[in-house]
Order: sequence, then structure tokens, then C-alpha cells
Amino acid sequence: MLTGKSVAARLAPVLACMGLLALWQIAALALNSDSFPTALEAMRAIPSILGDKEALINILASLRRMAVGFLAAVAFSIPLGLLMGRSASVASFCNPLLMVIYPVPKAALMPIIMLWLGVGDLSKTLVIFLGVSLPVIYHSFEGAKAVEEKMLWSGAAMGLSSVERMIRIVLPASLPEILTGCRTGLVLALITMVTSEMIARQSGAGNILFNALDMGQYDTVFAMIIIIGAMGIALDVAFESMRQRLVSWSEPQFDVPLSFS
Amino acid sequence: MTAAGSRSEAPLERTPASKSAPAMIEIDRVSQVFRTSSRKDHLALSDISLAIEDGAFVSILGPSGCGKSTLLYIVGGFVQPTMGTAKMKGKTIAGPGPDRGPVFQEFALFPWKSVLGNVMYGLRQQGVRPAEAEAQSRALLDMVGLKGFEHFYPKELSGGMKQRVALARTLAYHPEVLLMDEPFGALDAHTRTRLQNDLLKIWERDRKTVLFVTHSVDEAVFLSDKVVMMTRSPGRVRQVVDIDLPRPRRRTELLLDPRYQKYVVNIERMFDEPDEDELRC
Repeated sequence: MLTGKSVAARLAPVLACMGLLALWQIAALALNSDSFPTALEAMRAIPSILGDKEALINILASLRRMAVGFLAAVAFSIPLGLLMGRSASVASFCNPLLMVIYPVPKAALMPIIMLWLGVGDLSKTLVIFLGVSLPVIYHSFEGAKAVEEKMLWSGAAMGLSSVERMIRIVLPASLPEILTGCRTGLVLALITMVTSEMIARQSGAGNILFNALDMGQYDTVFAMIIIIGAMGIALDVAFESMRQRLVSWSEPQFDVPLSFS
Repeated sequence: MTAAGSRSEAPLERTPASKSAPAMIEIDRVSQVFRTSSRKDHLALSDISLAIEDGAFVSILGPSGCGKSTLLYIVGGFVQPTMGTAKMKGKTIAGPGPDRGPVFQEFALFPWKSVLGNVMYGLRQQGVRPAEAEAQSRALLDMVGLKGFEHFYPKELSGGMKQRVALARTLAYHPEVLLMDEPFGALDAHTRTRLQNDLLKIWERDRKTVLFVTHSVDEAVFLSDKVVMMTRSPGRVRQVVDIDLPRPRRRTELLLDPRYQKYVVNIERMFDEPDEDELRC
């Protein structure tokens, strides 16, 4: 069933990765610097990190914070965004606030948050929450705003109350847009997770990375970058496949509508 | 006065709004003002009174921008009139309800639901059991000519098919009044003709009250018992024309029927004339 073209398309990401690693290997060999290990050296360090119980606990703690921050942000942001999209008064109240918060790097708030909430899980989770919230609110807002009025009227005529219309019409109709926001949010969760651990160095994947840097273990530094990057890619691929399944009804895969009146 | 002479040949009468017969829908001195973005008030509808009897097929005919859709939305309860009242069976309309089923030009299907899911939606909302709702919906889809398309999604359908689904979705919950807002306006001529024929066939079976908004004179005359002609902005009732043509109507026969032709020509002529009501106001 696989044609030459589709095999090439499937192999393309693998080939791109191999190419990048090969380039890295050549560059590192050419530069021959202590602070720039070769790709092979970095890859060799991965099993020892993943085999280390301490390191694994750290990485899992990172992932847990990320999951909690992400899910809390999604649970908070989707209803808020949808409400903003359907109510002009909620939107006019929240929009200026969000406009002020939007350009502030969330990690820049970390020192204040640490001051108030300490260097523990709560501070880091809160930063992740803030990082994820904005794109999810924004996309939910845009999605809800674009819902056809007539679709809501059709629902109202069937006897759906305004709350039911919100949950059973606005939410599913905006789902493609919401999930686009969640996908951006997921990547931002990973970024803010690592950043927060760099600032509040107590545990986590970002902590391993920076401790290794302090101790001059450059192969571990690069290995951690690969591990964090791989986690990001895996999460994104998993999320994307879920997204496609949930909103296949909206994807324009059938370009030619059936011709029949 | 050739226009006046020709008008008397066809039974064109002004029907008074207040009739003794019990009306299904009663629109009483309704006016609608919209606030536009430039903060100027725009009078969309001015002092409309209209009575629609049970089982009648009534078209609201007028140029675009005459507020004819707004009038339909007021009956639907989607828009509250600025002045006046709309009543259904003597009760003031306060909001939308399943006794009045809309069919919009934009179809407004639920894209995340299959064809069957769309048609079942209203029945499920009314608490009909899934198996029963599915059986009824399948029968309806068969009636509108969509047997075999139950599991398709709206995006996979052509405009004509989407409007068939929308019609079935609304018919499914048995509204007493169908509110059709230029339902065939977005379709090509061939598809529109087929849907008009099919709508008439369905209507002639159960004779629901239909309020049908259109800007096509042919369509209004072909389908209706009564055509309400409206003036350009602000929308007022200009004339109510009873269409006294036999049913069941067949398009191919009607096109050759001089009575049909006379209705169409007379109505078009009246739209060409300056509006007498305008001077009276």
C-alpha cells in the first residue's frame, strides 16, 4: 500500500533529525571544545540520566507540575474565554486586563511569586498556569465569538436554555479553535516549567540541567536538552493526534462536496 | 390607469389585520428600531399588523433590507420588537420555543454532529428515547431524500443537501409553525427549484402554518396562499395578495397557467410603481 512518496514523507522527520545530529557531531568534532560535546557523547549520557532514580524523580516531578498547571489553566481558561466570546460586558471587562498581562513574560513574575509562595511546587505550578492560560483564553474567546448566531437560535428554538447553549453549542462549535489554543499552551507549559526550575532551583528537569552546567558536566547538559526536547515533541504529537480525532468534523479533508441537490 | 385596471383583474385584496377568524400568528403594530454603529437609529419595521391563519402558507416578499427577516425573527422570539406585540395562539411571544421552528438561509447545522445527529437533536432535547428519536429521524431523512446520508457530516454535503437536513431537523420536533428565512436564497437555480417542489410536497401532506421570507416573486406565488408585499426601508406592509391557485401545485403546469403568470406580473408591476403608502404616512 505504501508508495514511494508516502514512505519518503514518513521518513522525512527521521531523516531531518539524523541530519541535525550529524551536523552537530561534525561541528563538535571540528570545534573540539570541552563545552560542546559531540552528539554521540550527549546521547551516551541519556541512559545514565534515565537510569538514575534521583533524576527520574526530578523529571517526573516536573511533568507532574506541568500537568497540574496545564490542566488547571485549561479548566479555568476555556469557560472564561467562552464567556468573553459570548458576552460583550465580560469581554470589555477582561480584555484590558489580558492586554496588560499578555506581553509580560510569565517567568519574570517568578521572583515575586517565590517571595509570596516560596520556592516549592505551588509557585512553579502557578507560573505554568499563567503561561498556559493566555493562549487558551484567547483562542476560546475567538472561537466563541465566531459561533454563528443562527446556530444558537436553532438551539434556542429546540428549547435549550442559555446555559445549555453555552455547553452544548458554543463549546463544541469552538472546539477546533480551543484545541489550537491548548496546543500552543502545552508547548508553553513545557517552556515555563523549565524556566521556573531554572529560577527556583530546587528540583525538576531544569534543575538537573543547570546543576550539570555548574559542575561542567556538559554532556549531561546536552543530554537533558535532548530529553526535554523529546518530551515536548512526544507531548505535541500525542496532543495533535487527539485533536485531529476530536475535530475531524471540521477539517477540510473533503474538498469536493457531493454533487446532489 | 392601466396598472389599476390590470390589478382588478386578479383577486388582489387588502386583507385587514384584525379578522374574526382565530389566527395562529398575530402581529400587532410591530415596529423595530436598530441602533447602528454610527449611533443613528434605523427604523427597520414600521407599524406592521398581520394575521396568519392556522395552516396557511404565507410569504413575506420584499426588496432586500426591508426588514422582512427581522419580522420573522420577531415571530421566532429571537428578536424583541421595539414596539407592538407578536402573538401565537393569543399568547404574546416572549422568546424562542419548539412550537416555532426556524429554517435559515445559512442552514446553521451543528457541524460536529452527523446528519442523523442533527435531525435527532431536537427530539433528544425533548426527552424522546434514542431509539425512538433515531427511527423518527431516519424516516424524516428518507422523506427529504437523504436516505443513505445519515452518517455524513455537514461539511461533506452540498448546499441543497444541507438545507434538506436543516428542514428535517426542524420538522423533527414538530413545530406548529415553520419560519423559513430565505431558505433557498443561497442555492443555485436548479437546486432551488427541486427544493421548492419537495417543500410543497411535504407541506401539502401535513399543512403546517408556514411563514416564508423571500425576495423572489416566482417563489412566493408558486408556494403561497398569501403573499405579504413589503415596502423598502422602513418595512411596512404594502399589500396582501391572496394567491388563489389550485393545489397540489405542479411547477410545470403553473408556469403555463395564465392565472399564475398574472399574479407574478401584477406583483412585479406593483413593486415598480411608487409606493402609495409612503405618501399617506
